Amino acid sequence: MPFPDVKLANRPLHFLYLCDCSGSMAASGKMQALNQAIRQSLPGMAAVARDNPEARVLVRAVRFADHAAWHIETPTPVDQLEWRDLQAGGITAMGEALKLVAAALQTPPMEVRALPPVLVLISDGQPTDDFAAGLEALLRVPWAQKAVRLAIALGHDADLEVLQRFIGTEPATAGRSPRRPLQASNATSLAQYIQWASTAVVGAASMPASRVSETPLEPAVGNIPLPDLPPTVLDPTDDVGPLVW
Amino acid sequence: MSWILPEGASLGFEGLAAPLRIVRGLGGGTQGQVYEVDLEGERLALKWYLPACIARDGGLERRLIASIRATAPNEDFLWPIALLRASPASRPLIRIRDESFGYLMPLRPPAYVGACEHAAGRLAIGLRQVLRACFGLADAFHSLHLAGLCYKDVSLGNLFLEPDSGGILICDNDNVAVDGADHGAVLGTPGFMAPEVLLGQARPGADSDLFSLAVLLFRLLTRHDPLKGQMELAIRCLDEPARRRLCGEDPVFIFDPVDDRNRPDPIEHAAALITWPIYPRPLQALFEQTFCRGMKQPSRRALTGQWKQELARTLDRRAFCPACGQENFQASGGPALCWSCGAPLPEPTTLLLPHGSVVAAPDNELHAHHFDALAGEDLRRPLARVVAHPQDPRRLGLRNLSTVAWSAETPDGRVQAVQPGESCSLAALTRIQSPAGPIAVQRPTRPSPAA
Repeated sequence: MPFPDVKLANRPLHFLYLCDCSGSMAASGKMQALNQAIRQSLPGMAAVARDNPEARVLVRAVRFADHAAWHIETPTPVDQLEWRDLQAGGITAMGEALKLVAAALQTPPMEVRALPPVLVLISDGQPTDDFAAGLEALLRVPWAQKAVRLAIALGHDADLEVLQRFIGTEPATAGRSPRRPLQASNATSLAQYIQWASTAVVGAASMPASRVSETPLEPAVGNIPLPDLPPTVLDPTDDVGPLVW
Repeated sequence: MSWILPEGASLGFEGLAAPLRIVRGLGGGTQGQVYEVDLEGERLALKWYLPACIARDGGLERRLIASIRATAPNEDFLWPIALLRASPASRPLIRIRDESFGYLMPLRPPAYVGACEHAAGRLAIGLRQVLRACFGLADAFHSLHLAGLCYKDVSLGNLFLEPDSGGILICDNDNVAVDGADHGAVLGTPGFMAPEVLLGQARPGADSDLFSLAVLLFRLLTRHDPLKGQMELAIRCLDEPARRRLCGEDPVFIFDPVDDRNRPDPIEHAAALITWPIYPRPLQALFEQTFCRGMKQPSRRALTGQWKQELARTLDRRAFCPACGQENFQASGGPALCWSCGAPLPEPTTLLLPHGSVVAAPDNELHAHHFDALAGEDLRRPLARVVAHPQDPRRLGLRNLSTVAWSAETPDGRVQAVQPGESCSLAALTRIQSPAGPIAVQRPTRPSPAA
């Protein structure tokens, strides 16, 4: 006879992309690279979601250029997600994007009980609006304070200082260097970082992974210990020289 | 996935006479990547470590060499077979700069699926199979602990189930070490870690394995977490500090008989409330022992041998509800109701054995430990199995799975031989003599008709 038809109780895990769609993203195929990286990462993300029955992984995306707008507004289960391509054009309303996310992380519409949200900010330039006001609005929201905030700098013109303020400053802990924005200098490393954020980080935020003693046993500085970054895999296609933006 | 080892390539490794063909990548995580490989026509699995993982865990190579030398405690472990380092000629083909190594192990057959599939409710599996998997898990850890070893990182992620048989496989055996001897790097997986390990008061060992094993058994049997009740609902954001409080600083078993602060919520935690009553009291008591007194006193936790004994006895009590057909496991004696439909359960026909008794229900089995007090519980080699008659499923028989004939006695004293592979009708017999020992058939005592 079958096991009773019962399921493990689960909590939502909100995963939000904040994607820079300013005009400079059109250069050197960066916009296409980001669209590809996100699209390619979805099967792996769905697999992690399947392996973590304690979490209900829901994805949303914000695009920002002249203004910020929802690219995917409804929190969508990752296995039902179809990534429509983002288009580049305009300036960099990053502060507005943060305000949009801040409103979405208020309860309601946020559930009363959830896993820490994961926010991934991807940018290749400098904000053209009031970033500080946007960040302040975001960090006033308790769910944003609890969120795992990651930033990926695309190319060499990204404003690392702004991205560092978004992820917050975390002092170096034993054996680990302080957290910095991830710097993707080519399409391969961008894809690796997106994959890492959408699989390893989602896994860590939803169901804790096996711990090693180097991980601080004392209450963690962050509320979720981040997994190791992907190793630098030598890509045979890179041997001819990286595709530098 | 960016594979570190090139798929399709043949690589040479130190100490291996023949090259190893990398068939395909199977998966990867923060520790390393796993590949299906071909060694002279034999399919095996290869785990290849990331340099960061090796750097963090100084004892890894030493532990692996010791495990390879010790060999697997039983066949349910995907145990390391050989430690591999790339030969100088193959090193340039490995797409990572820092030197690394890996180990060979048996390849998991495709019928085995991750235990999280069961936890998520996506696996078609029966109660009997789940209980058999739990027994297999207790048995595997029994063998491991008896060998003086400990596993350290018991979790849902390291277990595979074969839903048709309830067979198990345990992977990621690279943290296994002599209990108390090797301070490896791993601490365990939060949610499965014993409170004293989570709080940093103890290193993982056999005692903390017993806690993690009980969590895993509870999760398999109930599809719920033993510590997630009202106290979990009071947490808004379930992050690390919250898990530390819930599982380390103030852990309360959801069915603690005394402390009722963490009872399951009827809606959010329905799985626990539906499944817990399925299991007989002696099995529930082992969870209470581990999660109540044993929560703070590691030496009081239920031992692997106790789990084996009680899980085997639970399987011996398996009977079907005549009203709804669901499997029941209630202890004998006293009126019993079906956990699923509430119908009263009739007293079953029982096979009385020198050491224990087995309810006569299809697929229940007799084993050597039912006859020999010194034989440990082992479900691998049944001596007999209850079977339904092919034409009339209500008529039950006992099939001789041994290699020697039995003699079956009828109430009028006649004796008939039951050859290996043959079945005899339980309705027509009072007693069976098998080389292992006697089997007596006890029919329910029917209420006498009204005078």
